[in-house]
Amino acid sequence: MKLRARHLWLVLAIVAPPSQAFRIEYGADRPAELAACDQALYTGQRAEARSCYRALLASNDDVRVKAEAARSLGDLRAANGFFQTAVEAWPEDPAVRTRWGELFVETHQDNEAVRLFQESLELAPDHAPAILGLASISAGRFEDRTRAWVDEVLELDPDNVGARLLLARMSLEEGEVDAGDEQLTRALEIVEERGLPPLEIHALKASVDLLRGIEQSPWTERALAYNAGFGEIYATPAHFYVITRRYREAAELYRSAVEIQPDLWAAHAELGVNLLRGDCENPEATVAEAQRHLAFAYQGDPYSAQTVNTLRLIDSLDNFVLTRHGSADGDEAADPSVILRLHRDEDLVLRPYVLELVNRSIETFARRYGFELEESVIAELYPEHDDFAVRTAGLPGIGLLGVTFGCLVAMDSVSARAEGDFHWGTTLWHEMAHVFTLRATDHLVPRWFSEGVSVYEEWSTGPLPGRHIPLHVFEAIGEDKLLPVAELDQGFIRPTYENQVVVSYMQAGLICEFIAANWGQTSLQAMLVHYREGLDTGEAIERSLGVTPEQFDAEFGEYVAAEFGTVLDNLEPWQRARDAAWESAAQGAWSEALAQATRANDLFADYVDEGSAWLVKVRAHDELGDAEAALQTLREYRRRGGYAPAALMQLAGRLSESGSGAEAIAVLEDVIQVAPLQEDLHARLGDLLLEAGRADQALVEYQVLAAMNPHDQASVHFRLAQAWHALEDLNLTREHVLHALEIAPHYREAQQLLLEIVR
Amino acid sequence: MVAAAALGSAVRMSAARVAGLCAAGLLAAAPVTRAELFYLIVGGLGGEALYDEAFTAQTESLAEAALRTVGEESRVAVLAGADASRDALRASLAELAEQTGEADSLAVFLVGHGSYDGAQYKFNLPGPDIDGNELGELLAAVPARTQLIVNATSASGAVLEDWSAENRTVITATRSGAERNATRFAEHWAEALSTDESDLDKNGMITAQEAFDYASRKVADSYETEGTLATEHPQLAGDTAARFDVARLTARVADTPRMQALIDELVGLEGQIAELRLRRDELPIEDYQTRLQGLLVQLALVQQQIDEAGAQ
Repeated sequence: MKLRARHLWLVLAIVAPPSQAFRIEYGADRPAELAACDQALYTGQRAEARSCYRALLASNDDVRVKAEAARSLGDLRAANGFFQTAVEAWPEDPAVRTRWGELFVETHQDNEAVRLFQESLELAPDHAPAILGLASISAGRFEDRTRAWVDEVLELDPDNVGARLLLARMSLEEGEVDAGDEQLTRALEIVEERGLPPLEIHALKASVDLLRGIEQSPWTERALAYNAGFGEIYATPAHFYVITRRYREAAELYRSAVEIQPDLWAAHAELGVNLLRGDCENPEATVAEAQRHLAFAYQGDPYSAQTVNTLRLIDSLDNFVLTRHGSADGDEAADPSVILRLHRDEDLVLRPYVLELVNRSIETFARRYGFELEESVIAELYPEHDDFAVRTAGLPGIGLLGVTFGCLVAMDSVSARAEGDFHWGTTLWHEMAHVFTLRATDHLVPRWFSEGVSVYEEWSTGPLPGRHIPLHVFEAIGEDKLLPVAELDQGFIRPTYENQVVVSYMQAGLICEFIAANWGQTSLQAMLVHYREGLDTGEAIERSLGVTPEQFDAEFGEYVAAEFGTVLDNLEPWQRARDAAWESAAQGAWSEALAQATRANDLFADYVDEGSAWLVKVRAHDELGDAEAALQTLREYRRRGGYAPAALMQLAGRLSESGSGAEAIAVLEDVIQVAPLQEDLHARLGDLLLEAGRADQALVEYQVLAAMNPHDQASVHFRLAQAWHALEDLNLTREHVLHALEIAPHYREAQQLLLEIVR
Repeated sequence: MVAAAALGSAVRMSAARVAGLCAAGLLAAAPVTRAELFYLIVGGLGGEALYDEAFTAQTESLAEAALRTVGEESRVAVLAGADASRDALRASLAELAEQTGEADSLAVFLVGHGSYDGAQYKFNLPGPDIDGNELGELLAAVPARTQLIVNATSASGAVLEDWSAENRTVITATRSGAERNATRFAEHWAEALSTDESDLDKNGMITAQEAFDYASRKVADSYETEGTLATEHPQLAGDTAARFDVARLTARVADTPRMQALIDELVGLEGQIAELRLRRDELPIEDYQTRLQGLLVQLALVQQQIDEAGAQ
């Protein structure tokens, strides 16, 4: 076969020092000469193991053995060279290519590894280690085909320990604890029969115990008795703490892992990442500690993109401003606090609004769920989406808007997306609801219920009330694609059709809405209590609502039919009328556009998102000269939850002109929740507030305006002077009016104010 | 003393005169013998309803600003729609070449689409287009010594260098001929000539520099807000923009001896304020503010008298 692999390059960082790798080998493709060295390593005799590998490296003639010995010694550069030579010497040997591929896996170069595994399979289609290699990479990417590959390996070799461990890990990650445990039990039998080290199985068994609520697992002692320096006995369960969102507990276990195995680089990296997620009281100190562990991880494993990205993110935190705020009642010394981390370019602009919303959400959710937060909350807003993505997953490219790590909320900032693309206020409200559902249940709340409460709270108490359900969700409802409540988590974790995650969000929100409507808000609270006690969804529903999950599903189905039956029936004619309205508008046929838009709104009035017929109706009224009807239509659009910034700005302008200042203020305050980076918004809102005698609030708007460094500096100083004047602070009035006139000596209004204050 | 010949002119010549003409900008149309400002506004071919509508609106808005500024229709030439042909443009510039003298000023606004094929810029007009070279020559033939040429079309950056000349400010919507997408600059330029937001010194007059700064910022903001890559980068060449009053926001008032005396007083105070500002870092802040306040109060009182006299 052609030596395509010859051209593969292992990308090695110069800074990487050789470090003895701890890796348990179960496969028969590892040269037998290495067994004694491996055994010394497995039992914690690291010095002996090192001497043993060195001896092989120096004296063994087989380049394949040298490659393995070099790899075990952590000299990846040398290992790569030996593997390259080995492939040239044994071009038809699938095992050599697979082993080389595993070296690439170790350095996070999965694409190169996949090529080598595939080449191995071209040589020997049944080469189980290569199939398992593909499966392990696929598992890391959460691909559907992983299980098929693992099954193929087990069909070829039912006693393949690596395959059983991968299967067990996947089952545990998916919450199928019993299934995972069964695999582990079988794997343990095999390794005992073969005299292989049981360490990884012990670590996964300890994870099973953890998932079953047993924190002091006997498997830990057994593993440490076998090898006192086996850090994975803590790091593996820590991973399951992470995926069940218990970051602090995870960090503690990672700490234990690196204590007994200081060169367990992955644990240092995970410790760093999870420290950043779990401690909301001392963020500065936590960042420093996380940075130390990540830097240490980088020294040992400079190939991890997650480590490198997170270190870069930490460096970029210098560009952020961290502010700590006391309780909403103004008690600065109160504990817990609200801590904001905002980019320095946005801090002064966004801080008042973010702080107000966080404080309001804490007050609202504490009241509605009977749970007081006992620790501080951190809200971080990232103007670069990729920074947020790295904060969340260590890698750029995720499609989320926000994420909650218990007490910490991280999200895209307003400027991370085009204006009006997302309603940042709603996103923050949603994430803050997660803070409550996670903390109230000690992070034991299932994903669906946490999302459901967040969506329900968006709709019922958020800054943009009203249901906002994407059209494709109605289609999914019409096609009977909603899941039974007990299985709803699967819609988030293992979606089976496009957009199922969004459908699941909406279903979860509707379920919480249904529970609150039928059994009262306190039932949601009761569900949280039961989750905290460790009950599953079926049990929590039975205990909280007094119905079986099946009865619940049936009643929920009736609720959905009652709520959305008409919408579903009207969906097609509504779409036709709406499209016709926009087409007529494009042609300037305004009477027809008005008629079609009116029909569309009659059929589905609550649709206020992109392409809403309400907006074309406004334009049609304007074009037909009926300004009053246009105003009323805009009002109705907003009342139903419409939030397009341009439409709301237009509405505010019309209200202001018609003397409805108070309503105009409310509308502009809505705009802040979606598009706060408009100078004009703050100027207009401040002016209206000042006119309404709300000078303290006007001052906030003018201060935000000043922070935006507007083009017209004289005006902003004059506005600030006016607000301070209304607040009877003569010194600050004078300071700002002089500033305005220093820039623009002929500024008539500022001159008037100056004359007034010096008289 | 402000030279009579300069009153009403669009261009202010020195630091002291800058201050003086801030007030002078309030004065009524000057006698025929004075230097005058002439406008030529051309709305090019839209090609489709959306652009035709936009270009017409922008042209109208610019024409209103021009008329508000000079107060005489005879000094505002507007070519729009089907009338904006190459021949009509040639004729208008020829007429301006006849009509204006060296002391006069000329402001030309070109709105619409432009194109650039790598060698030649063309301004798209109903019928045959006019190319950048010919337009440049026609503009050069207008004797008005001080000129402001605003080419707000796509690809307009292609003529920036060629059209640059002494005492001429050239503003283009794009950085080069390679920026060929329809531009937004004209919309914001027109807005700049009608809003006090662009009048940074609040003297009631918008200079070309103020309007350019305002419009450029608005253009950049609009792309940033949309989260899209900016396809136009406005440019300014020439050193007269800060002295070229391109639009008036306030009402014109009568030119009388009493008004002139008040303006002289105002100019004197402005000079003192400018001097004080230069000493800002030398003085204790309280001292500086006290002195500044004193001068500003005096200036405000004089300004009041000017406004009252003007209103009578």
